[in-house]
Amino acid sequence: MSAFANILAGGVFHAAVLFLVAAGLQLVFGVQKIVNLACGSFYALGAYFGITFIGYASQYGVSPWLILPGLILSGILLGFIGPPIERLLRTVYSRDGSFQLLLTFALVLMFQDVFKFIWGANPRSLDSAYLIYGTISAGDFSMPVYNLLVILAAIATAAGLGAFLQGTNYGRILRATAENRGMAEALGVDVRRIYSAVFTLGAVLGTTAGALVVPTSAASLDMAIEFVVEAFAVVVIGGLGSMRGALIGAAIVGLIRALSIVFFPEFEVIAIYVIVIGVLIFRPAGLFGRALA
Amino acid sequence: MKGPLAVALLGTVAFALLPYIVPAYYVGLMIPFFGYAIALLGFNLLFGYTGLLSFGHAMFLGIGAYGAAVMTGLGFKSFELMLVVVILASVAIALPIGLLCVRYVGIFFGMLTLAFGMLFHSFLFKFYYVTGGDSGTRVARMKILGLEFAKYNKIEFLAGPFYYYCLGLLIIGGFLMWRIVHSPFGLHLRTIRDNARKAEYLGVHVHRFRLAAFVISAAFGAVGGAILGFRVGLADPELVYWTQSGQLVFMAVLGGFANFFGPIVGALSYILLQDQLQSLTQYWRFVLGAILALIVIAFPQGIAGLAVQLKRLVAGRPA
Amino acid sequence: MTVLLETRNVSKSYGEFRALDQVTMAVREGELVSVVGPNGAGKTTLVNLLTGLLEPTAGEVLFRGNNIAGVGPVALADHGLARAFQLIQIFPQLTVRETIAAAVVSRQKKRWRILARLSSDAGIDARVAEVADIFGLGPRLDTVAAALSQGEKKLLDVASAFALDPQVILLDEPTSGVSTSDKHGIMKTLIAAAKRAGVKAIVLVEHDMDLVAAYSHRIIALSEGQVLADLPPDRFFADTHLIETVIGRRRGH
Repeated sequence: MSAFANILAGGVFHAAVLFLVAAGLQLVFGVQKIVNLACGSFYALGAYFGITFIGYASQYGVSPWLILPGLILSGILLGFIGPPIERLLRTVYSRDGSFQLLLTFALVLMFQDVFKFIWGANPRSLDSAYLIYGTISAGDFSMPVYNLLVILAAIATAAGLGAFLQGTNYGRILRATAENRGMAEALGVDVRRIYSAVFTLGAVLGTTAGALVVPTSAASLDMAIEFVVEAFAVVVIGGLGSMRGALIGAAIVGLIRALSIVFFPEFEVIAIYVIVIGVLIFRPAGLFGRALA
Repeated sequence: MKGPLAVALLGTVAFALLPYIVPAYYVGLMIPFFGYAIALLGFNLLFGYTGLLSFGHAMFLGIGAYGAAVMTGLGFKSFELMLVVVILASVAIALPIGLLCVRYVGIFFGMLTLAFGMLFHSFLFKFYYVTGGDSGTRVARMKILGLEFAKYNKIEFLAGPFYYYCLGLLIIGGFLMWRIVHSPFGLHLRTIRDNARKAEYLGVHVHRFRLAAFVISAAFGAVGGAILGFRVGLADPELVYWTQSGQLVFMAVLGGFANFFGPIVGALSYILLQDQLQSLTQYWRFVLGAILALIVIAFPQGIAGLAVQLKRLVAGRPA
Repeated sequence: MTVLLETRNVSKSYGEFRALDQVTMAVREGELVSVVGPNGAGKTTLVNLLTGLLEPTAGEVLFRGNNIAGVGPVALADHGLARAFQLIQIFPQLTVRETIAAAVVSRQKKRWRILARLSSDAGIDARVAEVADIFGLGPRLDTVAAALSQGEKKLLDVASAFALDPQVILLDEPTSGVSTSDKHGIMKTLIAAAKRAGVKAIVLVEHDMDLVAAYSHRIIALSEGQVLADLPPDRFFADTHLIETVIGRRRGH
């Protein structure tokens, strides 16, 4: 039973990380109507950079207690790649969606070699410094406190994003632009700056998620490509463009993975695809999205 | 019909003479070109002519490659029989998947096909007792047109008889696709691409025809995949990963998806480009990605589209 | 005269809201029937019911005796009922010839000819030339639709509907966006084309009362989901109360 609890806890941790990336995807899709295949690349970038950043930090004698904020900081620092990439994508906004998709695919290809160039072909990982936060145990069940902190951080982010989007003026402007770009422009909204800001926020969510995950798993070249499929599964299940959808979708995917590991180990990955296909067929808008097809 | 016919004839002659002009290495590169070219002819029926972008098309190449592996594993050596089997298999699999997918367009179609493609990939991994899992399954040597060509070793066989066999397959495939695209059926596909709603009002069966295009493209994909699998001698799950589907799209766009010959040009260009880049740098993916970005941003008409524009310029007509 | 298209006691509700309430109307052979009424009167709902896009909550929609409730645009085209829309709909990358040919292919049931050469089909070619001619698009046959002028696009849009050889054609505000001086010209072209194409009846949805007065055999006025009047023009326009309800002001001749 405790093995089950452990796996479930792992699922929740995974869901927390998935949520962060999915939230970024949803923001970018909701406001700019772009589906970003390079979300996995941002995730991997965050992971690799997180490892390097922490590596330097410990070299300079920074306390290992600061590993969590350090990783978060490293993720945020990478936000500077947001604006230039958005400028690149801007060139194809007016064109058919397939071109935007292809451009993000081009980014995926380019990022792969950037990772290889900077960090080499082998997976990189952090040592177990994160265990400095200790572990919680209850009988046979144990979970690193670090994981719990990440989960809490994800929940805080969800709450923060929700409050931001619903409660602040800027958030309202974002939602207005997402709803009707032309109208927003007519009302004086500088849509270009909004797009740049939103894309950067989306990127930062992705890179931070990647940074947060490296204590528990390695950064590898495959990461960027494999993650895309899961992130998309979350977004489809939750509904394109919906924040709530990102949260619920991430929870579902995280849970399904955990449950499949316990009950149907053979079909772990297959279960997710089947659910994605099922959702796309019976409720193409996802659980919370608005139908586009 | 004059221009395209000339291009086709020229191309055929060029490829027929290639083994006598070009080093054997490049002749070896042409087999995957033939495979991808045939697969892309089918892909472009779906993309360029019907307006549906599939991000899971590599799965049909996989059906071709694994079909070849299964057939040789069972002791069947006839390439033709294998082609028939993989075509039937791809049609059988494309029908239910297509039925589900063609009700959606744009990004939803893309995501559904990506999901199915990855589902297929997972099956290949999981059912390793049939498929060999991670390491793939062997595709053994086969007989083409009933002939063994035993005195040729594998390399000679590939650069010789099999080369011309594949050229033949491409010509047949090209001819079929040309007729399909220029038929009443093809016209209806293009109306679906341009304005599906209006097409309905003109009596076009939108869903049915999208499904038909999907199934036909699957069959072409299977033939292409069989050639690829045979050439490598291995059917392996990586052939089916979503990035491989992305590569197909890359080739189509590189060549120019608005032009009949575009995909073929794209396959050739990509293969040659990748080969050259790989010998120049280990970061060839970066360069390819940059080229794709450049094409998408500045030259969406692709190489074939550019060629057509150039021809018009030279002929003095407006582009 | 034979009734071609009719509704019998048709109602359509969306939840609480009754868009149409017991509407009975008929279009007979040789007629041009106009459907008029203020926005929200139910014109769009009626038109969508008449063209098989919606299923009525009650009542029947019949085309030549066949129930066409909710059959959808493709079946509609097969039945012989065509619809042209207010907003111009074209196939941007297809030529005039190909656009009209698409309809002809449907009409001649050649859609599943996967390996036949479209360009060498004389039957299709002849019909395409015929239809293009009726609408004055002959010289533009090989022009790509996106390159046509607005007026030509409109003509092409309607021409492709006519190429279906429909028995009845429904024109949805065909002169919207056209300058007033051209409106009568367009209407005359459309009606003449319909006659030449063998169309047996026209249903016209229009806001412009001058056109309605000039060309209708009968006018059906809708208001708040109900049929207010079903009269020939002379009797329709003599009723000032009716005119006020339909267009909200008194109309002088």
